[in-house]
Amino acid sequence: MSREATDNGIRVEGLIKEFPGQRVLDGLDLTVADGEFVCLLGPSGCGKSTLLNILSGLDGDYRGSVRFGGQPMAPGGKPPVTIGYLFQEPRLLPWLTAERNVDFALENSRVPRARWAAIKDRYFALTGLQAFRHYYPHQLSGGMAQRLSLVRALAIEPDVLFMDEPFSGLDELTARRLRVDLLDIWRETGKTILFITHNSYEATFLGDRVVVLSRGGIRDQITVQVPRPRDYDDAALFQVGKTVSATFIEAAEAAERDRH
Amino acid sequence: MLLKLGSMLAVVAAWFGLSLLLPDTVLPGPWETLKVLTENVVDGQVHEHLLATLGRVLGGLALAMAVGVPVGIVMGLNRFAEKTLDVWVMVALTVPSLCYAILAFIWIGLNETAAIVAIGLTSAPSIAINLWEGVKNIDTRLFKMARVFNASRWVVVRRVLFPQVLPYIMASLRFGLGIVWKITVLVELLGRPDGVGFQLFYWYQLADMGQVLAWTLLFTLVMLFIELVILQRLERRLFAWRPEVRL
Ligand SMILES: Nc1ncnc2c1ncn2[C@@H]1O[C@H](COP(=O)(O)OP(=O)(O)O)[C@@H](O)[C@H]1O
Ligand SMILES: [Mg+2]
Repeated sequence: MSREATDNGIRVEGLIKEFPGQRVLDGLDLTVADGEFVCLLGPSGCGKSTLLNILSGLDGDYRGSVRFGGQPMAPGGKPPVTIGYLFQEPRLLPWLTAERNVDFALENSRVPRARWAAIKDRYFALTGLQAFRHYYPHQLSGGMAQRLSLVRALAIEPDVLFMDEPFSGLDELTARRLRVDLLDIWRETGKTILFITHNSYEATFLGDRVVVLSRGGIRDQITVQVPRPRDYDDAALFQVGKTVSATFIEAAEAAERDRH
Repeated sequence: MLLKLGSMLAVVAAWFGLSLLLPDTVLPGPWETLKVLTENVVDGQVHEHLLATLGRVLGGLALAMAVGVPVGIVMGLNRFAEKTLDVWVMVALTVPSLCYAILAFIWIGLNETAAIVAIGLTSAPSIAINLWEGVKNIDTRLFKMARVFNASRWVVVRRVLFPQVLPYIMASLRFGLGIVWKITVLVELLGRPDGVGFQLFYWYQLADMGQVLAWTLLFTLVMLFIELVILQRLERRLFAWRPEVRL
């Protein structure tokens, strides 16, 4: 697919977000380079979903600056790039078939209708769902449903992909397969991905970089220099995973201490 | 289905048994009742009254839905609306149907409009409550999904909210029908010169139990037909996407 060489990096500076009675994000700085796969790791309740809500334009009530490829996003406005989103649950419309669920996203996107068929063919094939296009969501397994929501997120040809703990509700075997598939798709499409998780080894396996979040800001960053394609059983990867895990636990405990 | 048929047969058998014990002026048997009903149909006096009643049932149901559904939806979705309206819905529910009927006939006059207004307003609170409870169960996470995928407000209402509310609308339609037809009969007795309710009251005054039961049976059969044949089919068509629930 020929796409003009635009920059789809993300730059967040001094992001502050308050809910009544608590400051969830306290001057957060984060950059994601164009085409980079960044994993955001943090304990439950540290503001990961809050951050994605802001970045995807759902929550306009914040302070600080958010830029996509150098273009600022106005608070309360829409991001200047197309966002694909994966939630922790598939969030499919249960009364629509798999294919119609993807159409729903396409209908609200800028993708011209003439390309829909080809796009759907491609991503249904890539995720192994061709045979299930006419199934309703309740007829799909958890893994298949999450694959379908990946198809939906990719079909609108997003510049940036946000993923909020998308595999945490799946069994480990299914989650492993989906991670491998996601990396294949990422290699093929070169999307900028911000992936949220609370699983250190998942973050290490997937990311170019793992950003550990705690107490409203970034606690640490670890660049994963293990070459791709990666292998779950790779000892080097496991070593990095251990470091990431230790940092994560430290951050979580620090956050816990702060609360008391 | 077999279970339903069996229980129906059992009820008819019990009716038959009781009618043998009681004099005909108190409880005529199923066979006599059916005969009276057939005679009424042959005489040609049934369809006029039945149509009048069905017209009021439909009109009243339409009005009840038109008022109850939006109120219920807004209450289910909006906390502020819920807080402001819940007392009033409760009050409206508590007022006896007889009061609505009397007020409507006094204020609007002894006419069709008054009858339909009385029927509609009496049933609206129940429908509103039904929907209010239902709408609380809808999956609001889907709204966020739709917004992330750039759906406009109108698209969200039409394609995400409405399909989720539709099962509750259908349920309240069935539930509303049950209430509406009871009220219709009451309203007819009070202020209309025709209809099943009028007939029931007329034969009651003449102490003709055969006729009273015949009209009751007729109405029950018609309502069962609407419920089992029309509404259930409609539901099955509308909600084909739902997983089959087997008990
Ligand atoms: N709409 C809201 N109103 C008030 N507090 C909220 C809201 N959403 C999230 N929070 C609070 O903000 C914090 C971060 O939440 P969230 O971003 O969902 O965490 P997570 O990192 O688990 O995704 C939590 O303490 C949560 O209670
Ligand atoms: Mg979260």
